[in-house]
Amino acid sequence: MHKDFKLGKEDIHILKGIDLDIEQGEMVALLGPSGSGKSTFLNVLGGLVPPTSGDIMIRDYRISDMTENELCLFRREHLGFIFQSYNLISTMTAMENVALALTFAGVKKEIRQQRAQEALEVVGLVDRMGHKPSELSGGQQQRVSIARALVNHPEIILADEPTGNLDSKTSADIMEMITRLNREEKQTFVIVTHDPDTTKYCTKVIHMCDGLIEAEVNQ
Amino acid sequence: MKFRTILTIIGVVIGTASIIVMVSIGNGAQKSITDELSGIGSVTTLQVYQDLSSMGMTAMGGGKTDDKAILNDDAIKDLKKIDGVVAVTPVVNLSGGEIEVDREQYGVSLMGVDYAVLEDMRYVTTSGKKPGANDENSVILGKDVLTSFTYTGASTQLEASAVKPEDLIGQNITMTIKRTNANGEEEIKTQKLKVTGVLEATGGNEDYSIIADYHLVTDLNEWQTGRKANVKKQGYSQALVTVEDSSVVNDVTSEVEAMKFTVFSMQQILDSMGSVFQMLQILLGGIGGVALLVACIGIVNTMTMSIYERTKEIGIMKVIGASISDIRNMFIAESTMIGLIGGLVGIVISLVLSVLINLIAGLFIGGEGGVTISYITPGLVVFALFFSALVGLLSGVRPAIKAANLSSLDAIRSE
Ligand SMILES: Nc1ncnc2c1ncn2[C@@H]1O[C@H](COP(=O)(O)OP(=O)(O)OP(=O)(O)O)[C@@H](O)[C@H]1O
Ligand SMILES: [Mg+2]
Repeated sequence: MHKDFKLGKEDIHILKGIDLDIEQGEMVALLGPSGSGKSTFLNVLGGLVPPTSGDIMIRDYRISDMTENELCLFRREHLGFIFQSYNLISTMTAMENVALALTFAGVKKEIRQQRAQEALEVVGLVDRMGHKPSELSGGQQQRVSIARALVNHPEIILADEPTGNLDSKTSADIMEMITRLNREEKQTFVIVTHDPDTTKYCTKVIHMCDGLIEAEVNQ
Repeated sequence: MKFRTILTIIGVVIGTASIIVMVSIGNGAQKSITDELSGIGSVTTLQVYQDLSSMGMTAMGGGKTDDKAILNDDAIKDLKKIDGVVAVTPVVNLSGGEIEVDREQYGVSLMGVDYAVLEDMRYVTTSGKKPGANDENSVILGKDVLTSFTYTGASTQLEASAVKPEDLIGQNITMTIKRTNANGEEEIKTQKLKVTGVLEATGGNEDYSIIADYHLVTDLNEWQTGRKANVKKQGYSQALVTVEDSSVVNDVTSEVEAMKFTVFSMQQILDSMGSVFQMLQILLGGIGGVALLVACIGIVNTMTMSIYERTKEIGIMKVIGASISDIRNMFIAESTMIGLIGGLVGIVISLVLSVLINLIAGLFIGGEGGVTISYITPGLVVFALFFSALVGLLSGVRPAIKAANLSSLDAIRSE
């Protein structure tokens, strides 16, 4: 799979032929120097940007051929996203942020609240569900965003430096929680990280460099 | 709610209120004038005249007479046969009469109608009663018969006499008419008239006339002119046709016109005024519309700003599964709400304004029982609400499409 970006008139080659299989239930760490194309790869994987050439298959779905609307529907049902900067909606409470993903899926209000509460329970934040993001710590905000990613029960969760803004203690908490989810719910995780500590939680570590996969290590 | 949104809503409020108030003033003018017109002179009475153009034609055609065009007794009978016609009477006028009441002289004119059909005509007496078919010397007074005009400088003043027409009911009055005979001498004839009633205001000639039997008026006319009237050849100058109700007015009018007579009815005046008022409403509504157009620009601006501000939010929503139509509908719903709320508040404000306008106008104009300058119909309210919501919706479409088409990744990265 290849990905180019247009910069002015020039095409810059960012992902230069990535060929990778990820099995269901795996917990994959994507490691590599800054600018090596990790985030770009993750975004292509999640259908947020189309690849320039090549295919992405998730189960039987060919992501690379989907229209924007099909991708939206696909994401809603099969994918969850976790970002380094949490990306919560600042005007909504923790509960509302988590429930929002279900709103678009057309889930009824009572069920929405019930499931959002369950997801917040999983991340241990039920007591904070009425709080706005600004009233929560970074670690708590990240846990809300994890709850949001979980609430649809997606098969795959894509996380771009989920612990990037957190101290080592909180990072460890978050990673342990992710590992637990991976084990209990059989969800597949793809985690971009800079932190070698994170990799010890993963079943597979992929080293990227300059738009190519340098090494693939199963643990 | 954001202050900006409130300001935008105020814009819609002003726009909606100005449309409603403007149109309501057009409505009010129409209502008060049509009410007045349909109150006076029955809408169900048609005035029929000999067709002047066809008379001219026969004159030029060397005395060739067209029976149809002459408003004589045969024509009256034919008019009577038209479907929906209740009564037909010829009208014979006499002017130059004088009566003396309470030692005051009043110039009067007589309007002679057929007493045989008087009962069927829509003449209503405010007091007294109508004369019977054989009461040849009985008359009804128009309500302003005893009002004399005095000219003071530039303005004409109506001066009601001390004696009211009602006071004369049951009395005999003496009318005198004059003529100059062949020798240049003035001759005077007196005629006793018995007053049986006073006519309700019609807004027409009747108000300043004495209604009498047309046989009597014809006799007096013949004395005054010294010539026998040749009704058969020359016809009456006018006839009044009373129809069942206002729904048949147009049908009867066209049938009478087919008989080559000229017809005037209040209905025609109302119809032609209707289109004038429609233009007035469009004009006034258009002025209000400009205010709503400005409000519309305000909505577009607010929505665009809001989308800039919420770009990141839109990105997040798209990443967690909002479809293009979810985002679009969200913003369209928001702008429609702005329009709807603005419309609702605008309606409430214009209802209050309408009452105030009428109240203040009442203070200046006076007049019995409330003045209608501004008149808000239920239809206008519904239209305004619908229109303001539509303006909100349409204003939101472009910004909403723009929001929906944002790239999710670019949007989520923006700050
Ligand atoms: N939208 C874009 N337009 C142009 N170039 C881009 C765009 N997005 C990323 N790039 C370029 O692609 C390269 C890879 O970026 P990417 O964000 O994938 O790196 P990364 O491995 O995630 O780095 P980091 O560890 O710093 O997050 C960079 O050189 C970046 O400048
Ligand atoms: Mg990155």
